[in-house]
Amino acid sequence: MGAKRIYQEYQRPILGLVSVAGLFLAWELVLTYLVPLNPFFFTKPSLIATAFQEQVLGGRLWHDLIISSRAFLWGFSCAIAVGIPVGVLMGWRRRAEYTLDPFLTALYASPLVALAPLIIVVFGVGLLAKSVLVFLLAVFPFIFNAFAGVRSTDRLLINVVKSFGGKEKDLYFKVILPSTLPYIVAGTRIAIGRGLVGIIVGEFVAASEGIGFAISRFGDTYQLPEMFAAIFFLMITAIVLTEGMRKLEAALAPWRVGQEAR
Amino acid sequence: MVPYIQAKNLNLTFRPKNRDPVTALLGLDLEASQGEFLSLVGPSGCGKSTFLNVLLGLLKPDSGDIRLNGNRITGPGQERAMVFQEFGLLPWRTVQANVELGLELKGVAAATRRQRSAELITLVGLNGFEQHYPHELSGGMKQRVGLARALATDPDVLLMDEPFAALDAQTRDLMQMELLQIWDRAKKTVLFVTHSIEEAAYLSDRVVIMTARPARTKSTIKINLPRPRDYEMRLSAEFNDIKARIWETLKEELMTRSAGDGS
Amino acid sequence: MTRLVNFYTEREHYILGGGFILLLIIAWESVPHLVALPRALSLFFTTPSKVWETFYELLVRNEVQAHFYVSATEFLLGLGLAILFGLPLGLIMGRSSVMDAMFDPYVTALNATPRIVFLPLLILWLGLGIWSKVMIVFIGAVFPLLINTYEGVKNVDRVLVNVVRSFGANEWQVMKMVVLPNSLLYIVVGLRLAIGRAILGVVVGEFYGATKGLGAMMARAASAYQVDVVFVGVAIFMAVSLIFTLTVKKIESKLTRWRPEAVKSF
Repeated sequence: MGAKRIYQEYQRPILGLVSVAGLFLAWELVLTYLVPLNPFFFTKPSLIATAFQEQVLGGRLWHDLIISSRAFLWGFSCAIAVGIPVGVLMGWRRRAEYTLDPFLTALYASPLVALAPLIIVVFGVGLLAKSVLVFLLAVFPFIFNAFAGVRSTDRLLINVVKSFGGKEKDLYFKVILPSTLPYIVAGTRIAIGRGLVGIIVGEFVAASEGIGFAISRFGDTYQLPEMFAAIFFLMITAIVLTEGMRKLEAALAPWRVGQEAR
Repeated sequence: MVPYIQAKNLNLTFRPKNRDPVTALLGLDLEASQGEFLSLVGPSGCGKSTFLNVLLGLLKPDSGDIRLNGNRITGPGQERAMVFQEFGLLPWRTVQANVELGLELKGVAAATRRQRSAELITLVGLNGFEQHYPHELSGGMKQRVGLARALATDPDVLLMDEPFAALDAQTRDLMQMELLQIWDRAKKTVLFVTHSIEEAAYLSDRVVIMTARPARTKSTIKINLPRPRDYEMRLSAEFNDIKARIWETLKEELMTRSAGDGS
Repeated sequence: MTRLVNFYTEREHYILGGGFILLLIIAWESVPHLVALPRALSLFFTTPSKVWETFYELLVRNEVQAHFYVSATEFLLGLGLAILFGLPLGLIMGRSSVMDAMFDPYVTALNATPRIVFLPLLILWLGLGIWSKVMIVFIGAVFPLLINTYEGVKNVDRVLVNVVRSFGANEWQVMKMVVLPNSLLYIVVGLRLAIGRAILGVVVGEFYGATKGLGAMMARAASAYQVDVVFVGVAIFMAVSLIFTLTVKKIESKLTRWRPEAVKSF
C-alpha cells in the first residue's frame, strides 16, 4: 500500500528515472557482453563517465566552456541591448512597425547561420566573429517578443492608470513593463537556444578553443568517450539555462503558465 | 407500471489520483414518466450533473440500477441527448456541421443530414447562420445550436445540464420560452438541471430537490400550473408560493452545505 | 493632393516596409560608388548586382543546380523522417501518461541542447555523404513536430470529447472528430518551426562536413574569398525559407478560420 502510494504520487519522476537509467544500463550491457566494442566507432557509459571525470574535473572542459561563454555573453548582451529597444519601439510606434517588420521578419525566417563563413572571413577566427554570430541569431527573439509584449498591453489597464492620475512614467513602469516582462523572459529562453547554435556553429566552422571546437576535435581524433563527455557537459549547461528560464517565466507571470511561445 | 426512467439506489464515488475520494451519488432514487419535464435543483456541486452523465451513459455507477423504458443503460445511446452548459460546440465546425454531428455518427446519409439540420436550424431560429463558426455567435445563439444538435437525432429524452447558466438574464428568459414551445411540440421527456428556482418552477411538471453531496432526492414538488405558461405567469401569487416552497426545502440543504464547508 | 495622401495612408504599411528594404539594397549597391574602399576591405566586399551576375553565371554553368539538388534531397528526406516519427510519437505521448513520463527526459534534454552538436558524431558514423546531413536535419526537425503534436493532443477540451462520446462515438471517432482537428493547428505551427530547423541542419551540416550541396559550395567559396558566391548561397537559402514560411503561414491562417486568434508562436 505504502509503496503503491509513493508510486502514484511520484509516477512521473520515477518512470522518467527508470527509462533513463534503463537506457544507460542497456547501452553499457550490450556493449560489454553482446557486441564487441569498436572504440573508434562507439563507446559506452562507463568510458564516458571516466572521460567526463577527467575532462570536467581536470578543468579542460571548464576552460572551453569559459571561452565559449565569453563570446556567448558578448553577443547575448548586445542582442538584449539592441533587441528590446527596437521591439518596444515597434510596439509603441506604428510607423516603426510598418517600416521594420517586413525586413526583420524576412531575416528572422532565414537561416542566418548561412552568413557564418562570411562573418568569419570578415571578422577572423575568434571571439569577435563568434559574438557577432550569437548576436545575429539571438537578437530576433528579443525584438519580436518585446514587440508582442508591448502590443499585448491591455489598453484598459493604461486607461485605469491614467484615470488615477498616472504619468507617462507610471504607464511604463506600472503597466507596460510588467506586461512585457514575461514575453521578454520567454524570448530569452528562445534566444538562449539560438545563441547556443551560434556559438557551436562558430566553433565548428572556425575556432581553436571552446566547447564546440572540443566536440569537433574529439570527433576528428576518434576520442569518442571524450566527445560524449563534452556533449553531455554542454547538454547539462543548456538544460540548466533553459529550465532556469522556464522557472523564471513561471515565477514572473504565474497567470501565463502553459501559454507556450516558442 | 414500470416508470419510463427509473434510477434505483445509485451509488458513485470518484477516486481521483492523489486526492481523497468523493462520493457523488449515495443511494439515489429517481423516477420520471414519458413526456414529463422534470427539473433537478440542489446545492452546487451536489451531484446533479453526475446523475445526468450517468443517465447519458458517460459515467458508470458503482452500484444500483438505471433504466430507460425498462432497458438498462450501459452506455451512450441515440434515444438520449444532452445539451451542455458550456455549449460544447466543436469550434472547427460550422453551425450546420455541429448540428449534424449526431446524425453523422449515426451514419445518416449526407443529403438526409442536410435536410434535417436545415429543419432544426429553422426551428431554433438560426437561419442565415448555417456557415458561421461558433466563435462568431453570441452565447444565446451557441446554445440554440446546442439544442438543435441534441434534437437532430430525434431522441426521446433530452438531458439539459444548466443549459442557460452561461447566458445573460434576458437571453435566458427568451430561451426558456422557446424551450417550452419546442418541448410542447416535440413532446420529449426532459431532465433539466438548474440552479435557478425560478427557472425550475417555470419550466417543470415536477421539481426534484436534491440533498447536499452525496446526492439523494430530498423531496419532489409538483407544479400544478396550467400550460402553456407565459411570462406573465411568473408574476402570479401562485407561482411565488411554489418558489417559496422550493426555497424552504432547499434552504436546509444549503445550510448543511455551508456548515460542512466550515468544518 | 488629398488623393495622393489617401493613396499613401491606405498603403502606408507596404510603402514603408517595402521602401525600407529597397533603400537598404540601394544603399548597399552604391557604397563603392560613394567611398573608395581600402584594398583589404574591397576583397570582402560585393554588391547586389555582382551577386546577381555571379548567380546567373553559376546557373549557366549548371553549378548551383547540382548543389541545390543535393541540399534539397537532404532537406526533404530529413524532414520527411521527422514527420514520420514526430507526429505518431507526439500523439502517443499526448494520449498515454506513462509514455509521456518515460520520454519526457529525452525530449527536454535534447530540445534544450543545440542538436548540431551531434554533427561530428554523425559524420563519424555516416560519413561525408548525404546521410549524415539527413540525420542532422531529422534530429533538428523532429522535436518541434513532436512537442507541438503533444501540446495539441494534451490541450483537447474534455467537454468536447464527452460531447462526441455522448453521441455514441468510439475511440477512433473521438480521435478523428476532436483530437486531430484540435491538434492540426499545433502541428502546422510545429511544421513551420521544423522547416526552419531543417534548413539550419542542411546549412550547418554542409558547412561542417560535405563535398556537395549549397553549404559546401559556400564554405569552399568563403575560404577562397569569393564573397559573391557565398551571398548567392545565402540568398537561395533565404528565398527557400521565406517561400516555405509564407506557405505554411497561409495554411495556418486557413486553419484558424474557426478560431478568433491564432496560436502565438514567435
